Amino acid sequence: MTVRLRFALLYSGALLISGLVVLSLAFASTEQVQHVGGGPVRTTHPSVYTNASALEVVIALAVLMLLSVGSGWLLAARLLRPVRAITAAAEAISASNLSRRLPVHGRADEFSRLGETLNSLFARLEASFTAQRHFVASASHELRTPLTAERTILQVALADPSASTATLREACEQVLVLGERTERLIDGLLTLATGERGIDRREPLDLAALATRVTESRHGTIRLDLALEAAPGCGDPRLAESLIANLVDNALRYNVPGGWVCVRTGVKEGRSVLSVSNSGPVVPAGELGRLFEPFQRLGAERVRERDGGHGLGLAIVRAVADAHGATLAAHPRSGGGLDVEVRFPAPLPMQMSRHNAGLQVVRRKSSVPPKDEGG
Amino acid sequence: MRVLVAEDFEVLAQAIAKGLRHEGMAVDVAPDGGEALERIGYTRYDVVVLDRDLPVVHGDEVCRRIVAGDSGSRVLMLTAASTVADRVDGLGLGADDYLPKPFDFAELVARVRALARRSAPATPPVLARGGLSADPSRRVAFRDGRRLDLSPKEFAVLECLLAAGDRVVSAEELLERVWDSEADPFTTAVKTTIRRLRLKLGDPPVIETVREGGYRIGAA
Repeated sequence: MTVRLRFALLYSGALLISGLVVLSLAFASTEQVQHVGGGPVRTTHPSVYTNASALEVVIALAVLMLLSVGSGWLLAARLLRPVRAITAAAEAISASNLSRRLPVHGRADEFSRLGETLNSLFARLEASFTAQRHFVASASHELRTPLTAERTILQVALADPSASTATLREACEQVLVLGERTERLIDGLLTLATGERGIDRREPLDLAALATRVTESRHGTIRLDLALEAAPGCGDPRLAESLIANLVDNALRYNVPGGWVCVRTGVKEGRSVLSVSNSGPVVPAGELGRLFEPFQRLGAERVRERDGGHGLGLAIVRAVADAHGATLAAHPRSGGGLDVEVRFPAPLPMQMSRHNAGLQVVRRKSSVPPKDEGG
Repeated sequence: MRVLVAEDFEVLAQAIAKGLRHEGMAVDVAPDGGEALERIGYTRYDVVVLDRDLPVVHGDEVCRRIVAGDSGSRVLMLTAASTVADRVDGLGLGADDYLPKPFDFAELVARVRALARRSAPATPPVLARGGLSADPSRRVAFRDGRRLDLSPKEFAVLECLLAAGDRVVSAEELLERVWDSEADPFTTAVKTTIRRLRLKLGDPPVIETVREGGYRIGAA
């Protein structure tokens, strides 16, 4: 049954019931008059109601009902017209032309609010589709290029008429290095996907211990300062470690000769905090948000072999922070470099069941939009 | 034949350059669009192998400027995106040919050669003059039916002289067409190669020295 028909029937039903109520009230009042009044009034009064036959009343009610169904039908059409318009427009908007929007009239009624709600939904969908397409294109580009290099190196080595053991060995070694790079990229893509999906493990962890483990394996010319105090939290230790590793590697990679990186952990205002600061090139404030998108780097630079990065580091940091309900704040340092702070939610007073902990994550995630904090 | 490889993924750029050098081409490498434009500014390349997604100056812009200039260089565009729309875009910018990654190196070489033949003035696939013939795609050369055993540089010099026909080719031009910027940039290299080439071609001599440092293959 359509809404229009339902509306028409309800409308006529309501009219019929009110008609019946009015009629029965009228009958009741004439009877009262007859009882209470008495005397001479009795002969003049019972005119309409008592004299009208039951048949006439039924006919009157039937006419009323027909009229009310008809007018209800027409009224419903008029009321539902904006719904039909919204449906038609929404049908025309599909994944391929998400840039279209519903026409919203100036009237501040329920329908214009519905239109506005749908439009903001379409806007979010469009942004997410665009980000997805961009991500897939970038991932495909980042994977195709080393594959092309591998194939070219092998084909050139095989086609070389004066190939020697040494040249073939060199080609093999180059291909192995490229293979490792591709593996790192695939690992990064998997970590990013896992982080974006959310976490299904929640264990007690200590950011200080994880940061110690990460920094133990980092050696180089950049000075690494540590100030690690116990910072208990809970979440997926493997993902939390990859968050720390990506932050530290990013700070080491985008640095200046003779520069420094400082890693701190501790408890601030009841929340476990990890902060990574580094010297480095100046980051324009406008570029900051972009750095946390996949495959984006500072400026147009994508100097791949030199930095060894795959362009996913900070995107992984953001995804893992979101999955843990942690807030992420990044600020450019005035002399160049970045301050990044990740605040994990306060450790729960007692270990909750896995299910409840999962709910906790969802609630935090929806209430704290990560993008605003990144910028 | 002088080729510029503009590709930001250094391992790939070096592999392509190495392979093309094996094919007897003189190859320079540019890691970004800015350096590619700079090199195009002072060297005339027969073919530019151009990655579409270049940093500093985008490959599309480099392509546009090559087409707008009067260098006569042919553009072979490489790209990791292989949709039809992308290919059409690339050709629409004036690229002469288009190769999606990953490609077979043999195909890249064949396309570079085909484009070089179209670079003005057009030359036939097999070059011949004065009893000499050279087939650049198979890299074989003959004198009166006898197959010659030439090094890549010697072959490239012969190819260049045959393609010039009647025209005298200066040592400087040979240096630009056959040697890339990695090579010793002196005309003595040209003289040495010409001497070895003459030795291999045998008698009677076919390479004439015209004026000081100019060469031509005499018509039979």
